[in-house]
Amino acid sequence: MQHDIFTIEIIKDAIVALGEEMFNAMIRTSMSPIIYETTDFAVGATDAKGNLLAQGNGVTAFLATLDTAVVSLLEHHPDPASIRPGDVFISNTPYAGGGTHLSDVVILVPVFDGETLIAWTVNKAHWTEVGGAQPGSVSTNAVDIYQEGLRFTFLKLYDRGAINESLVQLIRDNVRLPESTIGDMHAGVAAARVGARRIDEMLARYGRDQLLTAMSELLDYGERMTRAELAKLPKGVFEAEDIVEEDGVGNGPFVVRVRVTITDEEMIVDYSGSSPQTVGPINCSYTGLVTGARCLFKAVTNPEIPANGGCFRPLRIICPPGTIVSAQAPAPVSLYYEPLIAAIDAFWKALAPILPGRLPAGHQRTVGATFISGLSPESGELFVMGEPLVGGWGASAGLDGDNGQFCCANGETYNIPCELFESRYALEVDQYAFHNEDGGAGRHRGGKGVVLDYRVTGEEAFLTYAVSRSAARPWALDGGQEGSTNYAEIHRRDGTRDRHTMCTTVPVRKDEVIRIFSATGGGHGDPRQRDRDAVRRDLRDGYITVEQARRDYGLEVGGEGA
Amino acid sequence: MRASSDVGGTFTDLVFYEVDPATGQCGAVRTAKADTTPPNFDEGVLNALDKSGVPISRLDFFAHGSTVVINALTERKGVRTALITTRGFRDVIEIARGNRPDLFNFNFRKPKPFVERYLRAELDERVTFRGEIKRAVDLGPLPDLLDHFRWNGVEAIAVAFLHAYVEPSNEQAVIAEIRRLWPEVSVLASHEVSREWREYERTNTTILSTYVHPITQRYIERLEDQLRDGGYNRPLYMMQSNGGIATAKAAKANPIAMVESGPASGIFAAAYMGRHIGEPNLIVLDIGGTTAKCTLVEDGEVKVTTEYHIERDARNPGYPIQTAVSEIVEIGNGGGSIAWIDEGDKLHVGPKSAGARPGPAAYGHGGTSATTTDANLVLGRIDPASFVGGEREPDWAAVDAAFAPLQERLGLSKEEVARGIVRIANANMTAALRLVSTNKGYDPRDFALMAFGGGGAMHAVALAEELRVPHVIVPVNSSVFSAWGMLLTDLRRDYLQTRLTRLDPVSAPQIAEGFAAIEQQAGADYGQGDVGFEHFLDMRYIGQEHTVKIAAVRSPDGTIDVEATREAFHAAHEKRFTYRLPNPIEIVNFHLVATVAVPKPDLAEKSVTGLALEEAVIGRRTVDFDQHGIHEAVIYDGLRLEPGMSFAGPAIVQEPSVTCVVPPPHRVSVDRFGNYHIHLAA
Repeated sequence: MQHDIFTIEIIKDAIVALGEEMFNAMIRTSMSPIIYETTDFAVGATDAKGNLLAQGNGVTAFLATLDTAVVSLLEHHPDPASIRPGDVFISNTPYAGGGTHLSDVVILVPVFDGETLIAWTVNKAHWTEVGGAQPGSVSTNAVDIYQEGLRFTFLKLYDRGAINESLVQLIRDNVRLPESTIGDMHAGVAAARVGARRIDEMLARYGRDQLLTAMSELLDYGERMTRAELAKLPKGVFEAEDIVEEDGVGNGPFVVRVRVTITDEEMIVDYSGSSPQTVGPINCSYTGLVTGARCLFKAVTNPEIPANGGCFRPLRIICPPGTIVSAQAPAPVSLYYEPLIAAIDAFWKALAPILPGRLPAGHQRTVGATFISGLSPESGELFVMGEPLVGGWGASAGLDGDNGQFCCANGETYNIPCELFESRYALEVDQYAFHNEDGGAGRHRGGKGVVLDYRVTGEEAFLTYAVSRSAARPWALDGGQEGSTNYAEIHRRDGTRDRHTMCTTVPVRKDEVIRIFSATGGGHGDPRQRDRDAVRRDLRDGYITVEQARRDYGLEVGGEGA
Repeated sequence: MRASSDVGGTFTDLVFYEVDPATGQCGAVRTAKADTTPPNFDEGVLNALDKSGVPISRLDFFAHGSTVVINALTERKGVRTALITTRGFRDVIEIARGNRPDLFNFNFRKPKPFVERYLRAELDERVTFRGEIKRAVDLGPLPDLLDHFRWNGVEAIAVAFLHAYVEPSNEQAVIAEIRRLWPEVSVLASHEVSREWREYERTNTTILSTYVHPITQRYIERLEDQLRDGGYNRPLYMMQSNGGIATAKAAKANPIAMVESGPASGIFAAAYMGRHIGEPNLIVLDIGGTTAKCTLVEDGEVKVTTEYHIERDARNPGYPIQTAVSEIVEIGNGGGSIAWIDEGDKLHVGPKSAGARPGPAAYGHGGTSATTTDANLVLGRIDPASFVGGEREPDWAAVDAAFAPLQERLGLSKEEVARGIVRIANANMTAALRLVSTNKGYDPRDFALMAFGGGGAMHAVALAEELRVPHVIVPVNSSVFSAWGMLLTDLRRDYLQTRLTRLDPVSAPQIAEGFAAIEQQAGADYGQGDVGFEHFLDMRYIGQEHTVKIAAVRSPDGTIDVEATREAFHAAHEKRFTYRLPNPIEIVNFHLVATVAVPKPDLAEKSVTGLALEEAVIGRRTVDFDQHGIHEAVIYDGLRLEPGMSFAGPAIVQEPSVTCVVPPPHRVSVDRFGNYHIHLAA
C-alpha cells in the first residue's frame, strides 16, 4: 500500500489524542476538588504488555504509574483467561507497579479484539478519602501502611461487566466521605471507558494489524525523538545531593543522592547512597522514584512530544531497595511526594549547571499540601479540604523566576478560587499574596513565594500540613542568593503564634488564622550586577523591600520608592 | 438597503442587499471588499462602503463586526490600566491559577498580568459568599489612590472585589466615588462585566474590558459620526461574541463582549440557515487561511459558554475571559498551514501558516514551504486555471521546490506527499470535530456537516466520511458567511448569575425568583417591553465542580418544572459522561438569554431559469481523490447551478472563491436557496 505510512501516522495521532479525551472526561465528572482543580490524576493507554502508548497528565508526578501498573497486574493475574472483556481492575498498593500512596487509586480496563487482549486504558487519581487513621488519609505520624487507609492489590471492581457490590460496600463502609469517594471511582471508570471506546472505534476503522503496527511505531518514534535530543546533551558524570528534613515522627534529615551518567547511548541515574527508609510516612516507593527520574529526563530531552514508553528506553534507573526513595512494605508512604520531588530536584541540581537554557535554579520543592478538616457550621457535616500551594521558582540565566507556580511534580494544577473555597469549607481566606521574606536575590531574581491565610469560621478545625525545604533553602546558581523556606503558622486568639513544618490534626479554633508561607525560589547570578532599572522597578512594584534593595542589591535608595 | 461589514485580518468585507418595500423580499446578495486598515479600522469600513457604490444615506440597517477588541488585546494596544481590589488579593491576577500546561518545561513562565503590581491597589472591604456585607468599603484612601494613578498616566480603572457577583454594593460605592472624583477616567466594576464566581477569571475579564474600553469607545463613536455625516440616522449595531448584536451604546459599556465576534456570526448564520432548511442539528466547520474553527449546533441553538480564553494553547494557559462566547474549538489548520517533518521523520501540517504573505508556494510571493493549498493544487482539486479567482497562474516551479525536500525525506512522489499532507490536515480537523461531537457524547451520524470559509467546501466531504456524517451542506455565500450572518441576527444579551440553589420542589419559588430578578434587569437594560427570554441552568451533582448547561423545562404556567428539569439534567449528564448519580442536584448559574427581534426580510431564494445541467458544466479535468482514486471529474460552475439540479461525483463545483470537492459516488443537489447538499453514499 503506497501511502500506508500516513494511515499509520493518523492512527498514532489518534492514540495520542486518547490521553486528552480521557483527561477531559475525568476532570468534568470528578467529585473532589483535588481532582478537578489540582488535576491530581493521570489517564492513558498501554499496549497489551503494558508499554505506555499515550498519557494525559494533570501532573508530572504520575509519569510511571500507568504502564508499571499494567505490568504488575499481569504478574498478579498470570492466567490470561482470568482477564476478560468487561473486567475493570482496581489497585492502590504502593509497593507494586503503579503505586504511590494509598490515596492514589488506579483503575485498569482491558481492551479486546474479540477474545484477544490488545490494549489497556488506565487511570490513576487521588481520592479525597480512602479511610485510615486521619481524615484525608494523609498524616505526618503514621508508622506503618495499615494506618494510612484501605489497600487494594489488583482487585476486580467489575467482573465481565458486573460491578463487585461487595467491594463497593467495603469501600463505602470504610471511608469518611463515601459519596465523594464512590463518585471519584465512577469518574475513573468512565474516563477509562471513554478511552476503551475510542480504541474499539480504531479497531473497527483500521483493523488489528494496522492498529498494532501503529502502536509499535509510536513507541519507536518516541525513542527516536528522545535519542535525537540525548545526542545533543553534554556527556559525562554529574552528581548532586540534598536533604529531606524530617519524617514527622522525629527522625531526619535524610539524604537523597544522585549520580547521573550521560553517554551517547543512554542516561544512567543512580540513587545509591540515599538514606534508608524511615519510620514516618516520608517514604517513596520505587514506582515513585521511576516517575521522578522520568520526569526530569523528559524535561532535559524532549519536553514537547507526548510521553510514551519509547521515550524512556534510553533511561536507566538504579537504586537498591529499602531507601527513602525505594521503600518497601510496610513502610508508611502518605507523604511520598516530598522525597519524590527531592529525587527530581537532586537530578535537576546535578544537570542545571550544564543546561542553563532548560533548567533554572531551585524552586519551592514542595507540594505544600495543606489539609484542613472540620464541621460545617450550617450542615454539621464533615468537610475535608486538601490543596497544594504555589511557590517561587528559581531564576535562570536570562529570566527572573516565576512568581507563584505549583511545584515540579504538579503541572496542570489549578488553585481553588477563594470564592468557591469559601462556599464549600468553613474557612475564609484573608490574603493570598506574595510575601517579602529574604531570599532569591540575584542578577535574575528568584520567583516570589506566597502567603495564604485561612481564617477558621466554624467552632473548630484541624490542620494537617507537611512540607520539605523547611530548613535547606532552594539552591541558587552562578552566585545568586538561596531562596526562602516553607512553613505554616497558627495565629492564636491570645496573640501567640505556633510554627509548623509537619503536623497532623492540630486543633485551630474559631477566628484563629492558619498562615502558610511558600518558599521564594533561588536567584541566578550576583545581585549586585542586576540591572539598576530592574531593581528600581522591583522596589516600585514591592517585589523587594528598601532594606533588601540596599543590602542585597547595593542600591542607594535616596527616598525613592520608599 | 441592509448592509453589514466584517473586519478580517487582510480584508474588510461588506455584504449588502436591497429589500423590496412592497413585497418584503430581498434582492441578490452583493459584496464589496477593501483592505483592512489598522489601526483605524473604520477607514476600511468606509472604503468598502465607498467601493460598493451604495450611498450611506440609502442604508436602512447597518451591523458591524469588528476585531478592534481582540486586536487591542493581542497587540497590547490598550490603555494603562489600574486595579482596585479587596485587601489581601492584589496578586490574584499574577498568581493566576498557578498551572503549568507545558508540564515538562521547567523554564516555563506564566503570561504577564495586564496590570503591573504598583498599579494594583487594595481597599478594606469584605462580602461573604452568602452576600452578607461583612465590612462596608472604606473610601477614605480613594482620593490619594486616584492621585497616584493620575500621576502614573492611568487612563482606566477596573474595580473587582471578592463575591461582588452576589453582592455588588461595595463595588458600586467605589465606582460612584471614582466617577465623582475623576469623571474622565474609564471605570468598570466586575459586577458590570460578569455575575459569575471565580475571582481570578472575573477580575481578569474586568481588567481586559477596562483596558480596551477607551479605544473601543473612540472607535465606535468615530464610526457613528462618519455614518451620521453620510446620512445614516438609524442605530449602529455591533456584533457580539454570543451570536447576537448589541446597540452601539451597550457595546461601548462592556467592550469585552465583542472579543470573539468574528466566528460568532458565521456560526449563528449556520444555525439560522439550518433552521430554514430543516437541518437543526449541525456540526459547523469554518476553514480559513490559518485556522479551522468548529462547533456543534443542536436543535437550532448555538451553544454559548463563558469559559473562554485568549492566547491559550497546549503550552500556555492564556488569559480567561468570563463572557458569553459561542463555544468553538479552533486549531491551527487552514489553507496556508505549512507541512514539515520532525526529527523522528513524522510529517506534520500546521500550526505554522504561510499566512497571506508569502502565502502558499503556488502564490509565487516567495513562499518556500508546501502548504495544504499547494497540496490541493497538486492533486488537481484546485483549478490551476482559476487559481486565486483566476487572477494568477500557479507558480509551479515554486511548488516543486517546496515539495522536493519532503519527497526526499519520505522517499515518496510529489503526488504521494500531497495526498499525505491533505490526509494529515484532514486528520487534524477530524480530531477537532471529534472534540465538539463524539467527545461530548454526540453521534455524528445524527448531524449534517455545514462547512464554509475559504477551505470548507474543499475538505468537507472527506471529513464527513471520516466522522460518518451522512450529509454535507455548503451554504450559499459561504465565502462571506460571517458578514452575511450579521444581517440575520437579533439583539441578544446573556445574563449569567451564580446563585447556588438546590434543585428540588422546595426551592421552586427560589428558582422562579432567581429568573424573575434577571428578567427584570434585562427589561431595564433594554428599556423596552418586547423582550424574549430563554432560560438555562448550569447544574451539577452536589460535590462536583464543573457544570452541565441545560435548558430549564417550563410548565405550561411558565414556572420551572423541577421534576422534568431534573430528568433533563440526568439525561444530559449521562449523554456527556456515560453515567448518572443518585446524588442531589445543585444549580450553580442561572443563565437567561434575552433577545429583541430585529425585523428582517425572508431569505432570498435562488431563481430558476430552466437552465439545463450541462450548461453549468465548465469542463473536465483529472482530479486525485486519494482513497477514491484518480478520476476525470466534471467541473461545474457553481454560480450557474440552479435549485433542483442534482448530479454525482466525481465532480468539482467551482465559484470564484469556493471549490467543492465531490468524490464518487456521492450525490450533490441544490436547494431553493442555492445551498449545495452532498449526500454521502453509504
